[in-house]
Amino acid sequence: MNPLIFTMIMLTVMLGTMIVMTSSHWLMVWIGFEMNMLAIIPILMKKYNPRSMEASTKYFLTQATASMLLMLAIVINLVYSGQWSITKPLDPTTSIIMTLALAMKLGLSPFHFWVPEVAQGIKLSSGLILLTWQKLAPMSILYQLSPTLNTNLLLTMSMMSIAIGGWGGLNQTQLRKIMAYSSIAHMGWMTAIMTYNPTMALLNLAIYILLTTTTFVMFMLNSTTTTLSLSHTWNKTPLLTTAILTTMLSLGGLPPLSGFLPKWMIIQELTKNDSIIMPTTMAITALLNLYFYMRLTYSTSLTMFPSTNNMKIKWQFGHLNPTTLLAPLIILSTLILPLSPILALLE
Amino acid sequence: MMTYIVFILSSIFVVGFVGFSSKPSPIYGGVGLIVSGGVGCGIVMSFSGSFLGLMVFLIYLGGMMVVFGYTTAMATEPYPEVWVSSKVVLGAFLLGLFMEVVLLLYVLKEGDVELVLEFNDLGDWVVYDVEDFGFVSKEVVGISALYSYGTWLVVVTGWSLLVGVVVIMEITRGN
Repeated sequence: MNPLIFTMIMLTVMLGTMIVMTSSHWLMVWIGFEMNMLAIIPILMKKYNPRSMEASTKYFLTQATASMLLMLAIVINLVYSGQWSITKPLDPTTSIIMTLALAMKLGLSPFHFWVPEVAQGIKLSSGLILLTWQKLAPMSILYQLSPTLNTNLLLTMSMMSIAIGGWGGLNQTQLRKIMAYSSIAHMGWMTAIMTYNPTMALLNLAIYILLTTTTFVMFMLNSTTTTLSLSHTWNKTPLLTTAILTTMLSLGGLPPLSGFLPKWMIIQELTKNDSIIMPTTMAITALLNLYFYMRLTYSTSLTMFPSTNNMKIKWQFGHLNPTTLLAPLIILSTLILPLSPILALLE
Repeated sequence: MMTYIVFILSSIFVVGFVGFSSKPSPIYGGVGLIVSGGVGCGIVMSFSGSFLGLMVFLIYLGGMMVVFGYTTAMATEPYPEVWVSSKVVLGAFLLGLFMEVVLLLYVLKEGDVELVLEFNDLGDWVVYDVEDFGFVSKEVVGISALYSYGTWLVVVTGWSLLVGVVVIMEITRGN
């Protein structure tokens, strides 16, 4: 892609999200979503082959349907309340349609099928944008609507997302699909806490983006897309095996690592709201996630896959893809937990 | 009179949608879109949006659909599929048509339908908006607002359209 056009398109992707996040008028919110969706398509199709074309078509159709639902909700809201302001509380009907639209954009459970399909069909760098930056806009609207959201609907979807995000990734060997299912599960955690404490949802989003970025950058270092090729990491970049291990466990939410922080806070917050069964179920279904992360760490750094002797000798010093900021990303995505007292300032 | 005009226009509007969603070849789908688009302009005009209706007619039908028709004519198969050339397409079309006729007859006979939305009677198709109360038409106010304090809205829209063209060229140019 021509650098000038690439710059223009990337700027529009960012501009769309910014417009969504900063608007107080529903029409501008919708326009921002549309700009973002239009501009992300060529980024998804950066590698020009039928697979990526199919993936971006799927993405386009899903997002267009979601945008249409969003517009429907906005118009119904306009008919009922007579105004376009985003700050005014929605009525129940509008709130449900709006929640469904945003869930479709985020890839929450009944509408999650596009996420692994799209993620698997595109480049790693595009997948990084898809699973991180693209979550910002719908999440910010959910954040702004959090007082008027329908808790029952949102909680049902988030519980299903957590379960399916864990379940779907179980037998996967493709890393992008695993990351997609991981994304579905994390979106479930974020929306579960959304109506109780939106700040926690933002915290979870921030840490999720951090962890996903780190993971994708590590995958991009060797252009790794399968478990098998990830299991050759010890031969190419031995230090990375430790980093992959800690980052994966952090994604799974094991205690001393940063990924534990949002899970901890969310479970605590739900317990404070006298909800016991739900956080228990969430924590237990998150174990499914942890299982496939651990399988990745096992094949990457805890064991050596059976292979011929020739493979064990590194005979070609290949070129590593440039990695920006990998070191600070690894540190942030594993060691941020002691900074959690800062959260007291956010409240 | 006004009631029946909008009522009839709405039924033709839906017939157009049935026409293209029964999936004939793209060029005939375009025909369905043109019918729906033109009739839609009529509906908008009946709801006192004469300028908006004209704009949509000129730009959507006059510009966009012409280009769409031209490109599909260049690109599609030599023997395009009409509504009658395949049993599937014909069946889908007739089924849609049948559903619409049943709904229309129901609305005309009972005058009160409550499926997903509620249509009380044909009175819902009456245009209650009275232009005489305002000194200036709402459309004129809206258009002038776009060019005074809505400048940035125009800028954003224009940028989106430009990016839309760039995106389409980028993804269709091949490798």
